[in-house]
Formats: sequence, structure tokens, C-alpha cells
Amino acid sequence: MSVLRWWSGLLVAFGLLVLLRIFLPLPFNNEIIIFSIYVIGCNYLLGRVGFISFGQPAYLAVGAYGTAFYLYYFGGNPYVGILVGIVSGIVVSALVGPLFVRLRSDYFALVNLALAVIIFFLMQKVLASVTFGDNGLELLTKMDVTPILDISRPDQFWVFAFVSAFGVWALYKYLDDSVFGACCLAAKANEDKLRFLGYSNYGIRLMAFVVANTTTAFAGALYAVHQGLVSPEMSSPARAADPVVVTILGGVGTLYGPLVGSIAFVGMKDLISKVFGHWELIVGFLLVFVMLAGERGIWGSLEPLLRRWILRQRETDKPVVADAGVKAR
Amino acid sequence: MIDPQLLLSGVIFGLSMGSVFFLMTVGLSLCFGLMRIISLDQLLYYSVGAYLTYSVSLAVGNVWIGALAGVAVAGATALFVERFVFLRIYARDITFSMITSFGILIGGIGVIKVIWGLVPRPVPVPIEAQWNILGTDVPVYRLAVVVLALLVYAGIWLFLNKTIIGKAIRAGIEDVEHVEGLGINVYRLFTLTFVIAGALSGLAGGLHAPLIMVFPDMGLEVLAFAFMVVIIGGLGSIKGTFISAFLVGQVVSIGSLIYAPLAQMAPFAIMLLILLIKPTGLYGSAMLKR
Repeated sequence: MSVLRWWSGLLVAFGLLVLLRIFLPLPFNNEIIIFSIYVIGCNYLLGRVGFISFGQPAYLAVGAYGTAFYLYYFGGNPYVGILVGIVSGIVVSALVGPLFVRLRSDYFALVNLALAVIIFFLMQKVLASVTFGDNGLELLTKMDVTPILDISRPDQFWVFAFVSAFGVWALYKYLDDSVFGACCLAAKANEDKLRFLGYSNYGIRLMAFVVANTTTAFAGALYAVHQGLVSPEMSSPARAADPVVVTILGGVGTLYGPLVGSIAFVGMKDLISKVFGHWELIVGFLLVFVMLAGERGIWGSLEPLLRRWILRQRETDKPVVADAGVKAR
Repeated sequence: MIDPQLLLSGVIFGLSMGSVFFLMTVGLSLCFGLMRIISLDQLLYYSVGAYLTYSVSLAVGNVWIGALAGVAVAGATALFVERFVFLRIYARDITFSMITSFGILIGGIGVIKVIWGLVPRPVPVPIEAQWNILGTDVPVYRLAVVVLALLVYAGIWLFLNKTIIGKAIRAGIEDVEHVEGLGINVYRLFTLTFVIAGALSGLAGGLHAPLIMVFPDMGLEVLAFAFMVVIIGGLGSIKGTFISAFLVGQVVSIGSLIYAPLAQMAPFAIMLLILLIKPTGLYGSAMLKR
């Protein structure tokens, strides 16, 4: 029963995603799934560890370029490409992590953004002979057809992205429940007490940093396969705010916030750029508005209401509830 | 080795670049010191200053008047933003102001795109003359930018050390609550500091405009450099900002002489190095934890 309850939230959320797939066009669905994977790393860093990162595009680009380099120069299997992207994400975040996580949150944000810019210049100018600068790496023709699930085709890619998103969410839900997740929260709330309990602040932050940024790199790898084109535009500082905006729009530190935020964000982006064109104007002011309006975001405001409603339903079902209060965190 | 003439012009180039960096980031630093906010929207005022310089100099025919207009409008925009947004978030923690001001920056750039469009705009150089220093032709305008930045630094120093308001601001950087206890309205001080910061960023934009093309994303383009300057110098320290601005300017300029892509990479390497040795930057203090 408790196993079922653990999975029920995930199942409902991803059931709704399947519904979206039925009613909305395919590119939109692919976009929101990848984008929500992109955002959940940022959400974890901001909501659980208390690190605000304006440098997420850096890790996105690392994953994307890892995949792209493999697919362009070495082999044709997109699955291996995605794996290479993930590994390069791990390597890069493990390399810069020890330096970055020692910094205070404000410096952390600045340094990360600087890294994004550096990677942008690196890919655009320095390594232009390998990355073809602004033209980007064209991958569509480089990908082999894979048996069972051919992810070079958008509709089958959706299945793959959907399954992997489900996996990612299960992982993050598990992390939230684990000792590690509790330590992350503690590192955010009071690092001295955490050290008192015998945990290493540094180690926990580093671990969270690597996990979150590897997720982001994974999203980058998915982007590479999905779009079939990887250009430096991906890590441009103009896009650095997007994951933070969506994190806050969805609800900081909530599990489903990234999903809700991505749907709202990508949906609005499509609508606004059709009607109005000047996209960042809306994003910027929306961000300011959400921040001033209480920074809880869409899901962050909805979740307590939903939770109360579920609890009330349960209470009417069976009057004696021993663990409902404990379970509802 | 590098040709000495090239080196000299590189140094002058670096000095003028450092001056722009200094003017651009001193506001960021002041705001952090006094209000404990990270005001990324300073880069919006920089863009506003540059665009106003473009428009007004096109209309009037004098770049200096254009720059003045840029300073004025940048200051006014800063006042507007401070009244409507920052007044509500001074009490919140630093990340809050960082996210919000980034929102303002992005939104403001959107507004700029609506008003001026996406096409890069040229601004004429106000002083065409070149001086011959040690056999190298040096554009006088670049020297003028450096002199202006030095004047601003001196002006800020005088303001903070010799006037009563400046002294109150310095006291506020040490401890805001005590200043409040003295019966000084700190929110006045905050507004004043913010407007000064915005105006200086506008000046940076106005002075930078003739050296580059004016385009909507210019604020984002220099964002990374602004960050490096602030991080290397240490948040909240004007002296640190001054030194690191010129350091980064030189590194960018001379680095690009040695190997072009070094211009973007070298400051980052220096920043990492300094952070490794001193995580708070050159002159940043460790006590800035609220």
C-alpha cells in the first residue's frame, strides 16, 4: 500500500503528461519533457541545496556537445551519444564542482554564469574548427536507425524522453526521501548544525551539484538528439535565466514544479512568440512579478491546496488516520 | 615577443576598457555594500545609457550631450525600478534580489528591442584626434574615457569621505541598523545610492557606445566581464572594483594581442585562481553574511 502511495503521485503526473501527448502537438510535448528535465536540476540546487545557478546553460551545452561530438565524429548510435553526454556532464561538474561549491551562494551564481559564458565563447570561437562556430553541428544525418526504439524519429523519441523523465523524477523523489536529501535541506537551512551531526557540508554539496548538473547535461544530450543540431546558442547568457524563471514559476523546491513550470513556460513562449514576438520582455517581467507575488510559483501555490483536499478525502474514507499527517510533508 | 607599439596601444585599449568596466560595476559594488543586494539590472542601465547616447547624438549631433542624456535617463530608470521593485525586496536575502534583478535585466532588454529594434547601431567617436605617444598613434577619446573614470573614482572617494551623506553611506556599509538608530532614513540613502549606481552604469554605456556598436544584447555581452570584475575585486569594495576593473581590462586587451581567444578565457582563469586563493575576492570581506 505504501509502495503504491509512493508511486501514485508520479503515476498521476506522468499520466497527465500522456494526456497532453494526446491533445497537443508532438514537438511541444518533446520540448516540455526535455525542458522539465533541464529545469529539475536547477530546481534541486535552488530548492534543496540553496544554490542559485545562473549557469545551467553551461552544463546543458556540455551534455549536448558531448553527444554531438560523439555522433558527429565517432559513431552513429544515439543511445551511446546520450551516454557520452551524461558522462561528460559528470566529468565537467566533478571538475568544477570542488571549486564552486565552496563559494557562497551569491558568488556561486556569478561564477556559474561566468562558466556559461566561457563555454559559449569556447564553442563559438575557440573550438570553431571542431564545432563550426555559430553554424553548429548538424546531426540529423549522422544518427543510425536503432532497433526497438528509433529515437531519431520524433514520435519514438517522445517515448524515450517520457520514460527517462519518469526515471529522473523517480530518482529525485527517492533523493527527497533519502538521508542525502535531508542532508541537502539541512545544508541549506543550517550548515553548522549539519556539521555538528557529523556530515560533511562540502561533500553533500558537491554530490548534489554533480547529480543536479548531470541531470542538466542529460537534458542537453536529449536536446542534441531531438533537434539534430547543436550550436553555441544553447549556452548563450541570454538564455541563462530560463531555468531559474521556470523553477520559480513552477515552485522552488517542489517535485512537480519543474513539470508545471515547463508546461506553462513553453506554452506561453509558443503563444507569445506567435502573437507578440518580443519574448524576453514577458519572461523578465513575469519573473519579477512571480518574485514579488510571493515566490511560491504555480505548483508551489497549488500543492498545499491539493494536499489538504486529498487529506480531507482520506479522512472521509476512513475516520481513523494514524499516519496521514506524518506522510504528508 | 609583441611589438612594443602594439603593446602600448594594447595597454591604452585595456585602460579604456577597464574604465568602462569600473564605471559599470562600481554601482553593483556600492549596492551590494550598502543594501546587500546584487543588482544585475545595472547592466540594463548601461544599455539604456548607450542607446540614449545613440538616439540623442543622432538628433543633436553631439555625442557628449547624448552621453549626458544617457546618464540622466539611466538614473531616472534606476529611480523608477528602485521605487517599484527594490523597495519591496531590501529585506529579503541576496539570491532574491539577484533573481529579481535578472528578471528586470531580461525584461528591460526586451523593452529595448521593442523600442530600438534588433539592428546594431553605430555611434560616432566624439574626439577624432590621435596623439602620437612614443611613435604610436593613440586615440584621444580612449584617453578621455580613462580620465573620466579616474575623475569618477576621485569623485566617489570625495563623496564618501568628505560629505555627510557619503559618510552615512559608508557607515551604512558597516552596519545599517546603527545608522538607522542615529535617526537617518536609510531608505533615502538606499534610493540615492541606487540612482547614483544607475547613473554611473549609464555613463559607462554612454562612454562605451562610440567604441563599439550599440545593440540590444550588449548588457548581456558584458555581463560576464562585470561579474569577473566584481568577483575578483570582492563584492562591496570600491577600491577592489577599481583595481580589478583595470586588471581585467588589461588582461582582456593584452591577452587578445597574444592569442585572440585568450581575451575571453584569461580573465576567467584569473578569477578562478583568485577564488582559489581567496574565495571572497581581493578586497571582499568575509563578514558579509546576513
